[in-house]
Amino acid sequence: MAADEKRASDIAASLHRLERAVLPHLEKHSSVAEIITSLGMQEVEVLRALNWLQNKGLAKVSETIEEIIALGENGKLYAKSLLPETRFLNALSSKPLPLSEIKKAAGLSDDEIGASIGVLMRLKAIEPAASSGEKSFKLSEAGKEFVRTGLKTQKFLSVKKFPAKAKELSEEERKIAAELKMRKEVLAENIIKNRTAVLTEAGRGVLKKASTSRETVDRLTPEMLATGKWKTAQFRSYDLAPPAPRVFFGRLQPYREFLEEVREKFAALGFEEMTGPIVESEFWNMDALFMPQFHSARDIHDVYYVKEPKYAADLPQQLVKRVKAAHENGFGTGGKGWRYEFSDEKTSRLIMRSQTTACSARKLAAPDLKIPGKYFAIGRCFRYDVIDAKHLADFNQVEGIVVEEGINLRHLIGLLKLFAKEFCNTEEVKVVPSYFPFTEPSAALYAKHPSLGWVELGGAGIFRPEMVKPLVGRQVPVIAWGIGIDRIAMFRLGLDDIRELFSHDLGFLRSAKVV
Amino acid sequence: MPTITFAFKDFQQLLGKKLTMAELEDLLVLYAKAEVENYDKKSGEISVKLDDTNLPYVWCPEGLARFLKGVSGMRKGAARLKVNGSSYKIIVDDSVKKARPFITAFVAKGRKLDDYLLKQLVQMQEKFCEGYGRRRQKVSIGLYSYKRIAFPVHYKAVVPESVRFAPLEFDRKLNLREILQQHPKGRQYGWIIQNFPKYPLLLDDKGEVLSLPPIINSNFTGRLEVGDSELLFEATGTDEESTNLAANIFAQNMSERGFQIHAVAVKYSTRTVTAPEVKTEKARVSPQEVEQLTGLKLKDAEINQLLQRAGYDVEGGYAVVPRYRADIMHPADVIEDVAIAYGFGKIREEPLRSYTIGAKDKSAALINSLRKVVAGAGFQEIFSHILTDKKSLAAAAADAGKEKCVVELENPMSETYSAVRSSLLPGLLDVLSRNKHADYPQKVFEEGIVAARDGSKVREWHSLALVSAHSKADFTEQKQHLSAIFASLGTQFAIRPAEHAAFIRGRAGSIIVDKKILGIIGEISPAVLSRFGIEMPAAALELDLSLLS
Repeated sequence: MAADEKRASDIAASLHRLERAVLPHLEKHSSVAEIITSLGMQEVEVLRALNWLQNKGLAKVSETIEEIIALGENGKLYAKSLLPETRFLNALSSKPLPLSEIKKAAGLSDDEIGASIGVLMRLKAIEPAASSGEKSFKLSEAGKEFVRTGLKTQKFLSVKKFPAKAKELSEEERKIAAELKMRKEVLAENIIKNRTAVLTEAGRGVLKKASTSRETVDRLTPEMLATGKWKTAQFRSYDLAPPAPRVFFGRLQPYREFLEEVREKFAALGFEEMTGPIVESEFWNMDALFMPQFHSARDIHDVYYVKEPKYAADLPQQLVKRVKAAHENGFGTGGKGWRYEFSDEKTSRLIMRSQTTACSARKLAAPDLKIPGKYFAIGRCFRYDVIDAKHLADFNQVEGIVVEEGINLRHLIGLLKLFAKEFCNTEEVKVVPSYFPFTEPSAALYAKHPSLGWVELGGAGIFRPEMVKPLVGRQVPVIAWGIGIDRIAMFRLGLDDIRELFSHDLGFLRSAKVV
Repeated sequence: MPTITFAFKDFQQLLGKKLTMAELEDLLVLYAKAEVENYDKKSGEISVKLDDTNLPYVWCPEGLARFLKGVSGMRKGAARLKVNGSSYKIIVDDSVKKARPFITAFVAKGRKLDDYLLKQLVQMQEKFCEGYGRRRQKVSIGLYSYKRIAFPVHYKAVVPESVRFAPLEFDRKLNLREILQQHPKGRQYGWIIQNFPKYPLLLDDKGEVLSLPPIINSNFTGRLEVGDSELLFEATGTDEESTNLAANIFAQNMSERGFQIHAVAVKYSTRTVTAPEVKTEKARVSPQEVEQLTGLKLKDAEINQLLQRAGYDVEGGYAVVPRYRADIMHPADVIEDVAIAYGFGKIREEPLRSYTIGAKDKSAALINSLRKVVAGAGFQEIFSHILTDKKSLAAAAADAGKEKCVVELENPMSETYSAVRSSLLPGLLDVLSRNKHADYPQKVFEEGIVAARDGSKVREWHSLALVSAHSKADFTEQKQHLSAIFASLGTQFAIRPAEHAAFIRGRAGSIIVDKKILGIIGEISPAVLSRFGIEMPAAALELDLSLLS
């Protein structure tokens, strides 16, 4: 019992202002209409409060539908100053009269005269009277009776109290009403919904508590703060369970955020960011990397060619000459080069950048190259690939270089192990031989991922002298590396389809987990 | 990167050791830049993928086994090849100089071809010609049953219509041009010779056609069959070093398979070459150079030992490059082989010593601040592909008035990715069109690189675009966002009425800063919305960020 009381007072405290107002009136009235009148509140407010109370099991609301018959504009007139046919009859009560005199005596219009004749003839209340000229009428026996007792329709209109409930009419009244309904604006018919509300047992309990508890406040207002009214206010408790309407925060794209994190990481490791264009010349994308112009990765099936403009207009001609020499004869690096005829036209052909190594080549040739220096690039690359769960036409690559006198394969292995620790959080790594046309030696990094097993994380190598010397102007060791960042991103974001990295699905993006 | 298939059992025999699959996998990864792609236990066949596109001698079980024997200490130095003298000749006519100037050959006898060996020969031929031979342009290889050939063989170029023969798999004779048009191989490789007035042709002394290099062998002499034990090998091409390499790799492999190799004299008008020709290259690698590149402090004797493991002969302090290799261009290549033979796994790592200051690109700060400001206004960030299709750019009227500025791809793989985006709005409209059933309001934005032609150049810039779609999306809302963005930049802007097909007339404006047009803002036109199937009003803005910084 004490528990019920506690519950009742909890509910009482959480009542909305409207509920609190309506609740006491449920004891006095059962008709909602009466509640509204006695409260002097808007109907919607009362209905809303009743709905809430019903949902809480405090009130029971029921509804009946009623047909109400009232007098129309003409009906009101005819009730007071009689129907035209009644007046017609009354005019004839003493003697037969010609039409013009009936009209005058009854005060009827031509239309009303016509209609009255129709009605009265059907009732056999009047009959034509013999006359010399004008058409005349006289009362029949039935007519005389009607003058004494009155027409049924007239009695219905004049005697009955309106508005009247349709279901309370007698059989005969119903017939008369049906007849009168055919006439213009004599009767008006309304459907009225009668709502009734009664307190439940629980409602009575809550009402007892509510009447003793203080008035609650729904919202804290600036005015309350200004006046200090809040000090005495009791705030209504909310029902905390119902779901709130959904909102969506503005969020940064998770994959892009991951890439930002990678940039932060490289900056923290002492790497400076390098950039380059995505529409790139074959010179910077391949030739400067000592990839021979006949290399299979330069095929139209591997690289996207730009339709227009076809050629780069701003290649550094001196540099092109040196790179060309490296391809053709090794450019005095101690190597013999690829030994073929280098095409100046091909080197200036515009393509979509296929590797961010192009950025490394640009940096090596740049006047602001620092030695020692560490650089990285995160950039979009483009490959001629069939799109599937593992391949995209454009994707991101992370690459970098370390330029420093005296560094060698041992530093490269050290760097790769550092990356494995940073990006895969593992010290279990394998560095194995690999092949890239622009590095010698070349290595691949495998890291043992806690759940994926051995994963190829990236590739690295020391740039060939034939690549470095033409770009830098002299031989200096350059460690180059690239990390398969998309794969790491997919793991981080819990994806198994690479296409989802660039998802356009709002449901997916809005509900992406924070990582 | 070639992938080859062979029998595991055969490989164990070639290696002379019964190793397990796990041991083989390890050896391949640790030394051979290769990995097992598939092992079919039922047939006993393994597929191995090889990374080094410049080292074709390991693209076959013979070469791969030879290499692994070396690095695992089971053999030393280069493999020997005994070439028997002979009187076989190929006479080269000067007419081939234009189309395909070089040929090399040898004869192999003494071992019956079985089904497996024939398959291996064909596989190696294909891998070599497709990859290293640049889809047969640089090198193509022909193998013939020797007994049908009357020596000397003649290599010359002829007018395509002047000779007719039946190519492989064809009964009827065709002239050379017809072969290019009608034979599947002719259609596949015809591009290599079709523009020359004369095509290269190989004939025997009786005028019987051997083949039309690099397209197809004759159906009569050029058909190898199981049971054949006398073979003629030839390789033609545009690069003599590469044709020689092909001959030396094949001769070495076939010799290891039990064939005797017989030389063929190739008579050019000015010189005669005894094929397979050996041009030994030597490289000197000093301990200093090894240390410089690898950090390994090794003595001469240690280096020599490692060189021999890597398959080199060592002569007078020089590494002699094996005849079946042509990938050594620089001493660095030899040093890498020394390091591989030493074992990358045994090389102790060293940390980088020098101190450098890291930094993100200078545009990153502004871009990231703006991204956060816009996300803070309730916009979901989108990250899209840069490649798109011209149709969607047009549907969004993003190219309105500058259709010719869109950078298109000459060789797109699909329509979907056939152009570079010149605006971010089409991508954002695509988001709206794909999410019609997601809750509204939908507010999305993207920051990223866009590009357009600018005269004879391509201009690339960073762009920022916002789209919001809901029943009351309008210009005012977007202008509020724009004002907030500029407030965060501390920059003034103005809006000047503009006409743009993407927007409702009278409800679009250019965004002006310092008298420069920086972007566009407005209510998306219903025509554009309906092209994207979007059933909700939308307003948008796009800003060129490059002009801001």
